[in-house]
Amino acid sequence: MTILATEGLTRRFPRVTALDGLTVDVGPGVTGLVGANGAGKSTLIKILLGLLAPSAGRAEVLGMDVTTRGAEIRGAVGYMPEHDCLPPDLSATEFTVHMGQMAGLPRTAARERAADVLRHVGLYEERYRAMGGYSTGMKQRVKLAQALAHDPRLVFLDEPTNGLDPQGRDEMLALIRRIGTEFGISVLVTSHLLGELERICDHVIVIDGGRLLRSSPISDFTQTTRTVMVEVEEGRDALAARLTELGETVTPHGRTLLVDVRAPETFDTLRDAVCDLDLHLVRMEQGRQRIEDVFREPADA
Amino acid sequence: MPDLPGPPDDRNRPGPPDQPDDRNGRDTPSHPAGPPAGPGRTRERTAVPETPPAPSGAPSAAPAGVIHDIGYRHYEGVRLGRAHAVAALTLHTLRGVFGLGRPARSKIIPFALATVMMFPTIVSIGVMALVKREGIISYTGYATIMQVVIAVFLAAQSPYTVAPDLRFRVLPLYLSRPVRLLDYIGAKVAAMTAAMFLILAVPLTVLFVGELVIDPPGPNHTADYLTALAGAVVLAVALSCLGVAIASFTPRRGLGVAAVIAFYLLTSAVSGALAAMLESANDYTAAAWAWMINPFFLVDAAVQVGLLGAKASGPTTYPAGAGVAVTILAVVALIALSVTALILRYRKAASQ
Repeated sequence: MTILATEGLTRRFPRVTALDGLTVDVGPGVTGLVGANGAGKSTLIKILLGLLAPSAGRAEVLGMDVTTRGAEIRGAVGYMPEHDCLPPDLSATEFTVHMGQMAGLPRTAARERAADVLRHVGLYEERYRAMGGYSTGMKQRVKLAQALAHDPRLVFLDEPTNGLDPQGRDEMLALIRRIGTEFGISVLVTSHLLGELERICDHVIVIDGGRLLRSSPISDFTQTTRTVMVEVEEGRDALAARLTELGETVTPHGRTLLVDVRAPETFDTLRDAVCDLDLHLVRMEQGRQRIEDVFREPADA
Repeated sequence: MPDLPGPPDDRNRPGPPDQPDDRNGRDTPSHPAGPPAGPGRTRERTAVPETPPAPSGAPSAAPAGVIHDIGYRHYEGVRLGRAHAVAALTLHTLRGVFGLGRPARSKIIPFALATVMMFPTIVSIGVMALVKREGIISYTGYATIMQVVIAVFLAAQSPYTVAPDLRFRVLPLYLSRPVRLLDYIGAKVAAMTAAMFLILAVPLTVLFVGELVIDPPGPNHTADYLTALAGAVVLAVALSCLGVAIASFTPRRGLGVAAVIAFYLLTSAVSGALAAMLESANDYTAAAWAWMINPFFLVDAAVQVGLLGAKASGPTTYPAGAGVAVTILAVVALIALSVTALILRYRKAASQ
């Protein structure tokens, strides 16, 4: 099943080309849209919402063409913008109820939905207070709640982790994952951090300068450059030597070692090597692929 | 709902019947039948699990004292169209103009001004009741007498309808819903018009009801009352279009307030000064036109006097004959110009 699809989608502005022949196909679940600032993520969302006409090419959301059935799409889709969008003198409840009504829900239904959705995003007593006094984390939650108020089939989340502290980031990501799985609502989430989306997406699309760099299931991303980062208290070089001896590929990286994962056995080798050398293991974590790696890859290929 | 467990599910399960509360079913067939401590991902917790529910036979209801965490619920109800959304936005804005559902300080100015608007009505009713004579204020003259208060209300509240949406960028969010740009503008103007009409029509209606109840000597003023209501409708439309249009050009509310009040002060001062000058030169026709620069006198001349034949409530006579048609055209032009400015303004705002 296809949730959204574009074909040769192009959008030119007087001075820049924001999208350049973009062809993607997105299925249900959580899809990440990754790109640097100005890569065309927000332009793509605007086109998908039917708010901006494409210069060339076509796009479909939930099987509806964006140029002819924009209003219908907007009724079935939720949108969380990147920028602030909350009037400070309203309470979160009033605002979410209102936005639910704006999507076609009767007032009583909108009230019920708002209460439900605000609870799901984790706003409790504070939802009756004016939003002007909210923290960034709370504001992001309300922005997400209003996108879900009308129980859409698909939500577009534009940089939902923007401005959040690490803990707020983790909570937001967990929430997005729940929306995609437990709530059964497909998600298109943008970010400029691939590492962050890696944790919650089923599929990742990478765009740069309006062109498609890559579109593949998340497993492909983690497989291609899978590394494990190891930090030991002392004896980094000894460990590196031992691992190289055992046939692993090791790159020193500051105080840590990056070990390429050939097969699951690499982890065993690593563990045994640390034990045998009697080293103090500080940490061992899966290497995060950075967005630069993706940008570099096509050049290598 | 696949994982709402309950006794009916348990009946179909091949497990031993004495584990009625074991949610994980097949995973733990050898689990001893004990107090049904909810394992793992259960969504229903039995608060007082003293007695196990009825064994496999009876499709018993859930035991009392059960806390349901029903998880995410989908919405299956009706979804109304654009018209509903526009109505919701209009009502939301109208409530905002009077500060309803907003902090208490937002209510002070609109309600204070609305109260001031009631003063002539209250005094007039008092006079009618105590002295038993005709009311001291005319229905058709109400708007022109109270024009400063009405203008202050327009200036204070019309920026509230549009400025925050621009400043806090709520507009793109509205446009991501089924409503279109014209719906948005229409709802905003309609809400402001309703507010302006209310602020005028409520004192007029109270005055009329007071007059009917007291029944002072002299003729009944039903026709005057209806004429004044018609005038109030046109005045509300014209002033709201103008006020919202001026206010929409700045995302800053204070600046919008200043701009609208400056517009009123400018037109009323220019028209007053010009008329006084022309009257002193004994050119009363030109002076009548000079008064038309003030939108309150313009609407009075076009609708209440020109179309409905009321007595002029301005300080002088109004343009007569073909002049009436010109004033009507001027009112229409004023509304059309304001609406055009609004549309152009929002075309630009939406493309950003």
